[in-house]
Amino acid sequence: MASIMRTGLLRPAFQSPAASSRMLSTFASASASATIKRSSPLAHQLRPQFVRSTIPKTTRVAAFHATRRTQILPPLPQKIQGTVNDPAPVPHPEYTHGSYHWTFERLVSVGLVPLCIAPFAAGSLNPVMDATLCALLVLHSHIGFESCIIDYIPRKRLPVLRAMADWALRIGTVLLGLALYSFETNDVGITEAVKQLWHA
Amino acid sequence: MATTRAFARLATRGTAVRPTIFARGFASVDPIAKAGEKLSPEPARKVVPESKTSTLQEPAPDKQAKIKTFHVYRWNPDEPSSKPRMQSYTLDLNKTGPMMLDALIRIKNEMDPTLTFRRSCREGICGSCAMNIDGVNTLACLCRIPTDTAKESRIYPLPHMFVVKDLVPDMTNFYKQYRSIKPYLQRATPPPDGREYRQSKDDRKKLDGLYECILCACCSTSCPSYWWNQEEYLGPAVLLQSYRWIADSRDEKKAERQDALNNSMSLYRCHTILNCSRTCPKGLNPALAIAEIKKGMAFA
Amino acid sequence: MASQRVFQLGLRRAGVPSLTKVHTAGRMVQRRLAATQHVPEAEGQQILAKQRLNRPNSPHLSIYRPQITWYASSLNRITGIVLSGGLYVFGLAYLAAPTLGWHLETQSLVAAVASWPVIAKVAAKMAVSFPFVFHSLNGVRHLSWDVGLGFKNITVMQTGWAVVGLSVAGSLYLSLFA
Repeated sequence: MASIMRTGLLRPAFQSPAASSRMLSTFASASASATIKRSSPLAHQLRPQFVRSTIPKTTRVAAFHATRRTQILPPLPQKIQGTVNDPAPVPHPEYTHGSYHWTFERLVSVGLVPLCIAPFAAGSLNPVMDATLCALLVLHSHIGFESCIIDYIPRKRLPVLRAMADWALRIGTVLLGLALYSFETNDVGITEAVKQLWHA
Repeated sequence: MATTRAFARLATRGTAVRPTIFARGFASVDPIAKAGEKLSPEPARKVVPESKTSTLQEPAPDKQAKIKTFHVYRWNPDEPSSKPRMQSYTLDLNKTGPMMLDALIRIKNEMDPTLTFRRSCREGICGSCAMNIDGVNTLACLCRIPTDTAKESRIYPLPHMFVVKDLVPDMTNFYKQYRSIKPYLQRATPPPDGREYRQSKDDRKKLDGLYECILCACCSTSCPSYWWNQEEYLGPAVLLQSYRWIADSRDEKKAERQDALNNSMSLYRCHTILNCSRTCPKGLNPALAIAEIKKGMAFA
Repeated sequence: MASQRVFQLGLRRAGVPSLTKVHTAGRMVQRRLAATQHVPEAEGQQILAKQRLNRPNSPHLSIYRPQITWYASSLNRITGIVLSGGLYVFGLAYLAAPTLGWHLETQSLVAAVASWPVIAKVAAKMAVSFPFVFHSLNGVRHLSWDVGLGFKNITVMQTGWAVVGLSVAGSLYLSLFA
């Protein structure tokens, strides 16, 4: 019921007739319409007091932007490709980046579960299991970092940075593989090393 | 003193003179600022907090008034380079209906007719009044006003969307994505009995929890993945709709529908964060639908 | 309701002076007092595109309510980055060690750690064990979702808090007693 009374609209009608005439859409004579033609500063003054007061002074006078970009992925100004009625473009299927990738990632994760539990029971693993754990860790880390890069460095907006990040990750992963290979062959193996460090 | 400050500023800035293209308007009289204003303003500009804006009071408070404060996100496209701001309103809950939408309508009717928001059915079936209320995306018409007057309510538009005005976000991209999944029955063969496409009760049951979606976009805009990759990731709502057609036994283009999602962006940006299911005002489970799509494609 | 509307409109008209007193029905004209002009379709699209450029982006990360769903998920990612990042840093350092003259063999590392005070040891163990336990347990939770289990809102909340509790307990056990 309160919404129907619309007291907010009624009040200015009594206070300033000129303002209320703007709210009426039906007029009869041309002389009436001539009286309501007015220059814009007056129109601004005729803004109801409550509207003017809600606009902070800073935005009325000048736009003030002194803040720096702080968000992790500040959005670009909005642009819409095509008309409103076009569908968003559908990419071509890429199984290696889609379902195969996902399934492979899950298999690696599932494989890591027993390999992470086993050292707690056995103390450390035999060299073959240890090497398997290393290989799966490398793959799992690579996929995890890759997914971060895809999420936070979109190719469309930051193509150069994206390519650099992709290649840095690939090189890093290869080097990590080499490092873990030499660690497994020349040193005690990763589970044994963690065990010794933990009890140091 | 002034010189040391200038030197300190020089040292922190890196370059002595900032290029004008990066400069923002500091005052309207400054010619550099004029040039800056021609650039489109930063979309991620900070919101002016409610402590720096005015408060509109309840028009006629009673003696037993239950006054609650609402902070509402405001942005006026007629002042394009202005910052969004949080406008405060106080309402007497005794004179206001029980739902957040009632509060908004009362503010618009009695206090500030410039407040803009979408609403239509007021019963949670149209999905127009989707917004972020007290930090959670929901439909204003289904969200009760917390009666605890000590707590202040905050109303924002749907998160990480471009704002048309005040609480009205631009949904163009969302609808375009919905269109891209072809949300209609695709069939080449005529029905066997020549009259209609029949479905067993079990097959029909698979669509429960999917067809009820009203596309209010509460789930999509609660998803951090959708925040960061809105243009390529389809988002929970559209993927739930996609699964609604993949799961339909009458549809004959299941493989094509799955292929359309089979790339790194459209579907697999879902990291099962599960904000979508948590926030759905209709009690649906978009995350489960997405998991079913992934399962269906895993060993295909 | 309708009668109220009519009454209201009447009031408004009564409040407006300078209108001619008698209107004949034929002379009543609908008139919009805002200045409008016709704009062709293509031009309208251009105006819209320009308006879009000015639009702010609504706040997101800073205003969304902290919930176990997305907090656990982001913690999962952060712990993963910490663990894998540590592995990458160690691996690269191990490769570079011979040329740089560092000693990163297990023996020398163990000897170095053994000389630390107890608090530093516990803190270091904590810094490794909490990310490891949390990421492992939450990883199992994610795997259960991948087969389609545990999607009810209440289950998600329960398992989420269970994982947080278990990983605090587990990492404390690992760093203090193991």
